[in-house]
Amino acid sequence: MTSLARIGTIAMNTVREAIRSRLLYVLLFFAIALIFTGVFLSALSYVESERILQDVGLAAVRLFSVAIAIFVGVNLIYKDVDRRTVYTILSKPLSRTEFLLGKYVGLVLTIWMQMVIMIVAFVGVSQATGAPLTEAHAAAFFLIAVELALVVALATLFSAFTTPMLASFFAGGLWFVGHLTRDLRDIGANSDLESVRRFTGLLHRILPDLDSFNLGVEAAHGLAVTASDVWLPLVYGLGYIAILLVSASTLFERRDFR
Amino acid sequence: MSVDPAGIVRVANLVKDFRPGFGLRRKRVLHAISFNVREGEIFGFVGPNGAGKTTTLKVLMGLIRANAGEASVLGCDVRETQFRRHVGFLPENPYFYDFLTGREILTFYAKLSGVARAQRADRVATLLDWVGLADAADARLRTYSKGMLQRVGIAQALVHDPTVVFLDEPMSGLDPIGRKEIRDLILRLRTEGKTVFMNTHILSDVEMVCDRVAIIVAGRITYEGAIEDFLEGDERGADVVIAGLAPEMGARLEKQFGACLRGHGYRIELRVAEKSVSDVLRMVLGAGAEVLSVTPHRVSLESIFLSAVEKGRSGESG
Repeated sequence: MTSLARIGTIAMNTVREAIRSRLLYVLLFFAIALIFTGVFLSALSYVESERILQDVGLAAVRLFSVAIAIFVGVNLIYKDVDRRTVYTILSKPLSRTEFLLGKYVGLVLTIWMQMVIMIVAFVGVSQATGAPLTEAHAAAFFLIAVELALVVALATLFSAFTTPMLASFFAGGLWFVGHLTRDLRDIGANSDLESVRRFTGLLHRILPDLDSFNLGVEAAHGLAVTASDVWLPLVYGLGYIAILLVSASTLFERRDFR
Repeated sequence: MSVDPAGIVRVANLVKDFRPGFGLRRKRVLHAISFNVREGEIFGFVGPNGAGKTTTLKVLMGLIRANAGEASVLGCDVRETQFRRHVGFLPENPYFYDFLTGREILTFYAKLSGVARAQRADRVATLLDWVGLADAADARLRTYSKGMLQRVGIAQALVHDPTVVFLDEPMSGLDPIGRKEIRDLILRLRTEGKTVFMNTHILSDVEMVCDRVAIIVAGRITYEGAIEDFLEGDERGADVVIAGLAPEMGARLEKQFGACLRGHGYRIELRVAEKSVSDVLRMVLGAGAEVLSVTPHRVSLESIFLSAVEKGRSGESG
């Protein structure tokens, strides 16, 4: 059995676990409910009702997907260690890195699957209300998918060495700050103090720049999106994910399961 | 795979330290322990709670890293992963993904263990039947009893037909029937030529199934060898039941032969060393008393174990 097949076995089992979990369906229900709520919210406005509808829809897809990514992600490794299921799994011919990657891939696939369901609801609502759907929407959803993969990698990293409570605090905090690092850098750039400029620049380089995955404005306003608007964040995201997973694997390989 | 049959599992000078908290202070839980497990035997790794049995087993399974020393299974360093294709492991109080059914969980482990797709379904069905779970195969594990989960644990450890099987307290928490079933399964493994390494503190199970034992006390091995030698090493004797022995004669037997006298009045019982049995009988019969029975007596594993534990603990404090 190849390494990829072992990772695939763990990944498919993780997907199956999520499919059989009630929590995911509850969150998915609320996400779709919020997308439909956009119809009523947009009806309250005389202007740009289609934009409001799609703003709310895109925000619902992003927020609920991130919530699922963090809440499921922080338990991803911790639960298996805490309940000792990891003992029997790691006694098989499979490395800890393969196990961790399998869990990661499984959760990313799960979140992408539920995201597809939300997108179907979003497209349905847009078509029913006559709101336009453009290439920018496809690009926006694609980058949300990349952002989610990055958030799952963050949650996996913290799940590999700390409790779900702390991991959700760290991952949630980093997701929130990650959407501000670009603004922080721009604010710092206008400062007269060199140290402030350097510090905010450093923060922007070290912490994830999650705003680079946000094409919500372009999609809702029907603005043009260039190829580099997609592939640059994609390369950045894949690089960041690789660093997070290598760090998670290094920490996980060194752990003692007492 | 060519492996020295005398060293299917080899542990040499293994040391493990834990940090109890966040401080720098370390607590040594394994003090340079060494032992070997031979091919085809049931090896009992025996010790009281907290002696270091599970820690040793976790080092062998690669779940924790030793600080020093060597540990190998089937000639491979335990830090490698590929040898585990030939190894099965049942942890203490095993927990499995309870959203899966018995059949699904065994299929999952069979895949991870590299069982070929063509044989997987047959192998899983055979194992389910073997451990008596064929009827519950398609029920979710969350509906299983503790005994059933233990049997799932045994089945997942054997699903890839391993050469060596490691069992951590396989009978703990089971009722007498469950214990007998697991014991029979272990004995069946020996007839199939498997090597079994079993952590336990239940001495009656050790006596019934193990060929060799190692006793670990406070992180140190105090004995390693065949269970028969272990019992032979201690003094044998006999319980002699006598009727009509005069009290002064009883006192004399106690003094002369170091016999242990129990009971009083007409019927008394004497525990004497094997070498003194003939002399005691001669003296008793000569005194006109009646010998009702002579029962050969062997010191129980439990009493030897307790004295080994005591010796180990006094060695630790000394």
